[in-house]
Amino acid sequence: MNQPATVAVTGLTVRHRRTVALDALDLSLSPGIHGLLGPNGAGKTSLIRVLATVAAPASGRVELLGGDVGSHGERTAIRRRLGYLPQEFGCYPAFTVREFVAYVAWLKEVPADRAAAAVERAVERVGLADRIDARMKTLSGGMVRRAGIAQAIVNEPELLLLDEPTAGLDPEQRVDFRALLRELGTEATVVVSTHLVEDVAAACTDVALIESGVLAFRGTTAELAALGGESGDPGDSTTNAIERGYTAALRAHRDRLAARPAGQRAKESLR
Amino acid sequence: MTSPNSSPTPPPWHVSDALALRYAEGAAPETDAWSLEKHVESCSPCAGRVSAAVRAGAAGPALAAVRADLLAAVGHRPAPAPTPTPAAASVSAGHPLGRGARLWWAAGPALRGSWVVAVALVLGGAFALAYGAGFQGARSWLLAASPVLPLAGVAVSYGRHADPLYEITAATPSGGLRLLLTRTAAVLAVCVPLLTAGGALLPPVAGFPGAAAWLLPGLALTLATLALGSFVGCRAAAATLAGGWLLAVTGPVLGQPGTDPGGAAVLTSYFSGPVAQGSWAAAALACAALLVLRRRSFDHLETR
Repeated sequence: MNQPATVAVTGLTVRHRRTVALDALDLSLSPGIHGLLGPNGAGKTSLIRVLATVAAPASGRVELLGGDVGSHGERTAIRRRLGYLPQEFGCYPAFTVREFVAYVAWLKEVPADRAAAAVERAVERVGLADRIDARMKTLSGGMVRRAGIAQAIVNEPELLLLDEPTAGLDPEQRVDFRALLRELGTEATVVVSTHLVEDVAAACTDVALIESGVLAFRGTTAELAALGGESGDPGDSTTNAIERGYTAALRAHRDRLAARPAGQRAKESLR
Repeated sequence: MTSPNSSPTPPPWHVSDALALRYAEGAAPETDAWSLEKHVESCSPCAGRVSAAVRAGAAGPALAAVRADLLAAVGHRPAPAPTPTPAAASVSAGHPLGRGARLWWAAGPALRGSWVVAVALVLGGAFALAYGAGFQGARSWLLAASPVLPLAGVAVSYGRHADPLYEITAATPSGGLRLLLTRTAAVLAVCVPLLTAGGALLPPVAGFPGAAAWLLPGLALTLATLALGSFVGCRAAAATLAGGWLLAVTGPVLGQPGTDPGGAAVLTSYFSGPVAQGSWAAAALACAALLVLRRRSFDHLETR
């Protein structure tokens, strides 16, 4: 991992009213596909929304693609090079897929002479080319999600943030999607938040595991699988190994927290 | 592999890629070139293949230039590439459209059905009252309601609660104040002509301000909504200001029933005369200045 970091987060704290969603998180990512794992409510979506420049951190420093998110000019430049698929998003039901993706291309300031081709390419890459002129309201849930992925990649982003991209996709579409991910990950920094361990096993080069707003594990997919230890079952799959690694990493993290003296924890939270 | 015309059975021979390439380079023997030219008249797959080879060859740039000139001569929009589906190209919004079309495109989602229906209802209601029921105060009621209609338009077109695409737009460079202003402009572009013309067509009320009198108050309230919206979000700001305006208009009228049909005196004091209009203009300027100061707040992050 000698490439320069495209995402550098230091001391990131995010609060929702009184609850702390992310607690002094440090994370640095370079081009490749990064899986963001964690139990529900661990802070995955909070992190993605900060990285997408949609939510403001309570404290901490966020640098994306070499620019500081806190400064207006640099943020605008970052947003041109960013792709974001929210966990939940709406659309204008009367728009066609083409119009929906073209609208986002317009918002992202894709030059007008390139936009039409970029839209068609993005829609084709997610496998919706045959429905490109269908209205959004006529699409199934999985198709809407794929249209969402198309809008995220229409500007060929250098930083692509996908929050639960495989939700609602059927197994075949998931396989196609992972192939697309691998293709995107050769150039861009792709962050995939997911609760499906098999997504991570199939597509991600490394994993960040978040638990209660804190980084519980960071390493390659193979390292996470190794944490789970050897299984006696010879027919064991990678997915199972990663699932065991996931559980082991979470458990180890919780043990470390419990073992730490209370005073130290208080001091850290003051930091 | 069906030929669109002539013989029911397609010719067994087809143009090979190698031959198409040689033909494109002008290197094919004359007899082969003849066969090819005869064949492509009746076989569209081969014709497509040969065209592609020619376009890719040395003659490609010249052909593209001729095509562009021809399209320009017949007044056609230049397409970025020879697209195989002309029907799709015409609806593609990413094409270099005119400025006006682009503005409409940008604002399109803002002019949502419910709000346009509301504007139409207010206008229609005023006309029905004036001409159907013979109500003399219809014009003043329309004048009183006009300044809050753009506020409603702003409230339903931007922000987390109103715009289903908000989460996506918030991560784009155009997502903040620029998009809000574009949509506000669209709202005003619908409101101003409709309501002013509507007011002018209603029967005049004696001693009452003209149909254009609502323009400055409407602008001031719209800008106030944007400025206040930079603190509390557009929906809350629009609700506060519209509620305040309606109270200010209806309160005095309801306070003294019977004495003042149509609330003409109250409305006149709000709309008529250089002092009232001057104050609205000053308020509009002040709100615009505040909005300029607060311009970053829409861009950054999580406007409620």
